[in-house]
Amino acid sequence: MKLKDSLIILLITAFMTLVGNLVGPKISPIEALPGILILVAVSFIGIALAKVVPIKIPSVAYIVTLATIMTIPGFPFSAQISELTGKVDFLALTTPILAYAGIYTGKNLDGLKKTGWKIAIVALFVMLGTYIGSALIAQVILKIIKVI
Amino acid sequence: MRNIKLHAMVLVLVIIAEFIGPFKTQVGVGTIVLLPMLYALILGILLTPKFAKIANEKDMEDAGSLIGVTLMLLMAKYGTTIGPSIPVIIKSSPALILQELGNIGTVLLGVPIAVLFGLKRESIGAAHSIAREPNVALIGERFGLDSPEGEGVLGVYIIGTVFGTIFIGILASVLAAYTPFHPYALAMASGVGSASMMTASVGSLSEMFPQMATELQAFGASSNLLSGLDGIYMSIWIALPLAEWLYKKVYRMKYGADPIRENNIEEDRK
Repeated sequence: MKLKDSLIILLITAFMTLVGNLVGPKISPIEALPGILILVAVSFIGIALAKVVPIKIPSVAYIVTLATIMTIPGFPFSAQISELTGKVDFLALTTPILAYAGIYTGKNLDGLKKTGWKIAIVALFVMLGTYIGSALIAQVILKIIKVI
Repeated sequence: MRNIKLHAMVLVLVIIAEFIGPFKTQVGVGTIVLLPMLYALILGILLTPKFAKIANEKDMEDAGSLIGVTLMLLMAKYGTTIGPSIPVIIKSSPALILQELGNIGTVLLGVPIAVLFGLKRESIGAAHSIAREPNVALIGERFGLDSPEGEGVLGVYIIGTVFGTIFIGILASVLAAYTPFHPYALAMASGVGSASMMTASVGSLSEMFPQMATELQAFGASSNLLSGLDGIYMSIWIALPLAEWLYKKVYRMKYGADPIRENNIEEDRK
């Protein structure tokens, strides 16, 4: 995918997020605009870096690292960046993504028929096992190190 | 790329989903939360050719190629929640790192259930991990995707893709409401190696515990990043050998004999 196309998609998703922000959590688009533009910029820089840098590091790594560093307390303007991006509701950001994902999922429905009900039930236990296993360990360690 | 119809459909889905808003229901002592993202997902599926036939093949394909980029915005947002939470993340890092071992819960619960249902070598592919992309690649490399193991991992992969987000979102909410698990522990468990599953889980939790939202999102995102880093090694060195071992044990218990590998050379010679 070309960089220009990525930017267009980022801007479209940003627009949807502003709409969702307004309809759902009732945050005015003007208030949320600077924050979403920061997120678009960070994402775009990350995607571009992954393309330019010869070492293969996925763009997600650049994006998360960059956004994290910018908001660590003490970093220049970190408080302002946190404040502005805080105006973009986290859940409103997820809605457009999962709408695209839902439409895409339609493609996988045929595969479902092949796998059969046994695997479907096993899959639910697989997810349950991962989740509860991790939660148990996290709970015990967090108690031991007195975070909770 | 310039599929205006697709974007228009998504815009309508977003407006409908956000308009309905989070649905909270009091069940017994706890609250279960359903989020707009879940409605958007389900409504999206309903637009496709199997149901309303509003979205066509091309729309589905375009949507698939867009998801990667749209997720980047969410990842940037996650980064901005990790930064301010760095002190609490560092303080909690032993828990964050060790909870990765919890993924063997998949094997311990999944393999016996799979064998109980009569699956054979499929059990190993299906229950060695939560079967996201890296695991599908791993099983493909080791056994081939047309093998029984491959059939197992693909089955769980597809079910996870279609129902995983909904299932994990509701599971997080149910566990938070009815068990003594601390929201922090549940947020750490959310990082299963799928951004959308993690988001659904963390989303439900932050809706239930708004005062902890930043920390919950930071824990979920960091845990998911860790899964991305070490998940595949966990599978290769710990989970897959354990799944093989447990499969033999449970098989012997159920059938009273050792499992026979199909296409086994010794078996062919008989």
